Amino acid sequence: MKRRIIWLIAVMALLAAACGDDGGGGTATTEGTATTEGTEGTEGDLLSAIEEEGVLTVSTDPAYPPQSSLNEETNEYEGFDIDVATAIAEGIGVEVAWEAPAWETIIAGNWNGRWDLSVGSMTITPEREEVLHFSTPYYYTPAVVVVGADDDSISDVTTDLDGQTIGVCGGCTYDSFLQGNLEIPGETFEFVIDDAEIITTDTDTTAIEQLVQGRVAAVMTSATVAQGAIDAGLPVKVVGDPLFYEPLAAAIDASASEDTESFVARVSEIIEGMHEDGSLSELSNQWFGLDLTTKTS
Amino acid sequence: MRERLELLSVGIPFKVKLGIVWGVIALILVFLFSLADFDVEWMVDHLWFITQGLPWTIIICGLAIILAVTLALFGALGRLSNSAVAQGVSSFYTSFFRGTPLIVQMFLIFLALPQLAPPDLPGLRDSLTLTALQAGIIALGLNYGAYMTEIFRAGIQSVGHGQVEAAEALGMTYRQRMRRIVLPQAIRVIIPPTGNEFIAMLKDSALISLLGSVVAQMEIFRRAQLVGRADFRPLEAFVVAAALYWILTTVFQFFQTRLERRLSKGYVRTTIRVTTQPGIEMVESEPA
Repeated sequence: MKRRIIWLIAVMALLAAACGDDGGGGTATTEGTATTEGTEGTEGDLLSAIEEEGVLTVSTDPAYPPQSSLNEETNEYEGFDIDVATAIAEGIGVEVAWEAPAWETIIAGNWNGRWDLSVGSMTITPEREEVLHFSTPYYYTPAVVVVGADDDSISDVTTDLDGQTIGVCGGCTYDSFLQGNLEIPGETFEFVIDDAEIITTDTDTTAIEQLVQGRVAAVMTSATVAQGAIDAGLPVKVVGDPLFYEPLAAAIDASASEDTESFVARVSEIIEGMHEDGSLSELSNQWFGLDLTTKTS
Repeated sequence: MRERLELLSVGIPFKVKLGIVWGVIALILVFLFSLADFDVEWMVDHLWFITQGLPWTIIICGLAIILAVTLALFGALGRLSNSAVAQGVSSFYTSFFRGTPLIVQMFLIFLALPQLAPPDLPGLRDSLTLTALQAGIIALGLNYGAYMTEIFRAGIQSVGHGQVEAAEALGMTYRQRMRRIVLPQAIRVIIPPTGNEFIAMLKDSALISLLGSVVAQMEIFRRAQLVGRADFRPLEAFVVAAALYWILTTVFQFFQTRLERRLSKGYVRTTIRVTTQPGIEMVESEPA
């Protein structure tokens, strides 16, 4: 009897140890303290909680090169979104830690304090605004149509895609565009593609692989992802002009238990500062080869 | 023609014939593989990175199976008990966790559990907010525990009623009876199917990746998912992961077979070769 109890305790201890030592993800140290002046947090709100803890936990979906992906040699995330988030943490004067939940859980809100901020190339839409607070946009991407490199049948995107099978990532703005119900505050759209047969996938890279296999006639995605695919050597090409531009911003949970107003303001201030001093443009050129940080229409 | 082939093959030992069949199947697989035009170089380059998830897969399943066995034991005892409470709770448990998909259970535990805490108890909410790994292990344990409840119940019932009566006649309490007589004999029946469940769990552990594990704790599938997406080659990455799971389950299957044999030693008569005359062999073997 005694032996069994000891055994049971040993097993529980093992369980507790395993559950205990998985804390958050790796923390990236920031270089220097480039804290910028700005909104101060007040007692009990999210900003001061982050400053006190000394860590900003950011969510990222590392399925999305060149915005966010896993570098297997260093076991660190890397990408445009990663660098922007790291800079925001520096601006607040804290370190950055990462969480990598599924994209659907990020856009649904109700993060339960698992992470504080999402820097994930998220488009501002009215439905998302119901559950999230958005910062100032940090860049704008054109939405483009990608086809196979040898495919010459599609050249005019306003007519040649009608009725075709088009792959998109499920729940993304491209999905809503093809369904004809995309809404972005301050923008109007011409839904030029009619009756597309929409094939949704879990993420953009899967849609592009389906294109390479010939399961879909075209893919609609961000120009940055398209370029990443081309750079990775996949036989695809962009065709036609961009169908729309989307403003991408950082997001904060509207249902967080602490007050988020000062935190949202602070993040927006830092982003605006990065626009002004050119660091955002620099990062954009580094990761995308062009400056996407200014609004074009 | 057929008769000639049969005559020819009589001399070849069965194991060799088996090996030939497997060899042919392997060749067919290699041929299909080459048709599919995978980027094999990429797969070789990233094999080591994906393989590093192996220890985590085993840890996740190891912890989950411990939880599942514990739950299965109590579930089986509950199902067999006379108490309405015990029976009701355990039958609800098995019904729910066998009746809903594992992935839904994982998401519920990961996302919905914290919502259960009232807003004015942030401490409770924090402790209910589990990491992907914790939620995954608990969901796996709960799910497999429900299936294994039936295994344990069958194992306990397989112990002859005469044993239970004898134990009662000797004056043993319920706990003494269970611990000393019933369960030790039930274990022999329980272990083989439990081993199967563990092997099945090795692959279900891949679902944890959908909750989004952190870099320090990535198991095989998560690594394949991330590195595949980073290089726009998700399919190649998943094929590598599939191969790893196959090898892993084969290894565990081998150990399980040995364990089964070891446990059955007292119950299966060994093969007796009785030679009555030179050249004639009579072979006897009987399971208990």
